[in-house]
Amino acid sequence: MPISVRFMARRLLLLACLSVSVVLQAHAVDEVPPTGVSGEPTDSAFSDDTSLGSEDDFPADEDFSVVSDPLEKINRVTFWFNDKLYFYMLKPVARAYRVVPESIRVSVANFFTNLGSPVRAVNAAFQMKLADAGNEMGRFIINSTLGIGGLFDPAEKYGEIRETDEDFGQTLGAYGAGPGFYVVLPFLGPSSLRDGVGMVVDTGMSPLYNYAERDEKDNQYLALKGLEAVNTVSLDKDTYESIKRDALDPYQFVRDAYIQNRQGKIRK
Amino acid sequence: MKTKRFALLLAVSLLFSVAASAVVAPGPMDQIKASVDEVLNILSNSTLEANDKKERISTIIRKRFYFRAMAQQTLAQNWRKATPDEQKSFVELFSRLVMATYMNRIEAYSGESVEFKRENIEEDRAVVDTTIVTRTVQIPISYKLVKKDGEWLVYDVVVEEVSLVRNYRSSYQDIVNKEGFSGLMAKMQEKIKSLDAPPAKTG
Repeated sequence: MPISVRFMARRLLLLACLSVSVVLQAHAVDEVPPTGVSGEPTDSAFSDDTSLGSEDDFPADEDFSVVSDPLEKINRVTFWFNDKLYFYMLKPVARAYRVVPESIRVSVANFFTNLGSPVRAVNAAFQMKLADAGNEMGRFIINSTLGIGGLFDPAEKYGEIRETDEDFGQTLGAYGAGPGFYVVLPFLGPSSLRDGVGMVVDTGMSPLYNYAERDEKDNQYLALKGLEAVNTVSLDKDTYESIKRDALDPYQFVRDAYIQNRQGKIRK
Repeated sequence: MKTKRFALLLAVSLLFSVAASAVVAPGPMDQIKASVDEVLNILSNSTLEANDKKERISTIIRKRFYFRAMAQQTLAQNWRKATPDEQKSFVELFSRLVMATYMNRIEAYSGESVEFKRENIEEDRAVVDTTIVTRTVQIPISYKLVKKDGEWLVYDVVVEEVSLVRNYRSSYQDIVNKEGFSGLMAKMQEKIKSLDAPPAKTG
């Protein structure tokens, strides 16, 4: 891979500086009192009161925190845009792409997953999860070689070494950065201030991004990301469709699911 | 001498087996596994009609899920504000909605395997961790259970760290705040109707 060690070192340094500033920033945001769903501040009687003192007492065993969504109006518009993008672009393309046999599409998915290994390993190491970092590096080495450039996943199949889900947003979270606020990104979907920054950092570290030719970097990277998205949707079983079908308010469902999912992953 | 030793051995082994059976009353993991296995068997049974399948699965789910507790947790503080009649009809609507959602989800099942990882019991509460393994992803699903008359009943399902009850709770709370309890019930009824109808398009 044509990435010089010096280049990587400089990037890591940059990253370290960036991460410090981000942590500070996210903390600052965290101190703002959380606002309710409709944007009003939550009063104390409304928050965390989930004890249900009635005849059939069934105390809830989880605290209930409201997510800060000051951009809800803009977010809903972006959500609407992404929704249309999904139904009128991504889904039809993915449907046509399904002429490619499933086994090949699974290999394409494996290929992209494998290229994510170094980033996951680095983030596991940042969080001092050294066993996980080792696992990811092991997966990367095994799957890149025996798995023919990551097309197959012998590490899991024969070695039972499973992917560990880590990213820079989780790294920041592990060091105490809150999500800041919820944001829906065009094309990319649900995110938060913290995780959006994390995504930028992860992209910078990603072999996929660094492997692309210098002057064509962004275009090539976007094309590959597009392929990955189409491939993922082609293998997916209408997850988004069922959310739209089931939820009373899909926007809210996705937002709350996203925040809970991230919280849970950071706790791990 | 020999018979004596044999008798002793027998007594000891009997004692052990009695003790063992006392300990091995099916725990939460065994109970949830039994239900999941039953559902998977029905799903992969090609001789059954679709409606027949739905009915059988629904019976299993209703036995294993503690809908009243789920509904109560979902409403949180609004549960206490509701009258007993409202509570009762909410539980009924809520269980129908969860069932309809669940039925739609499992229609996508195509032979994925379910692994039962571990159980964590604390008095009358337990968490059972499972994983659904598909060709490209592993989906962690945890069941939260409460013991009621010797049966472990599900009061929450956590998929990829997302709790079903918590997720329902925030959106329901919002609707109750904006449109009142009757507004919520109307919305739920509407949703159940659209879920029970066959899907307009899939793909």
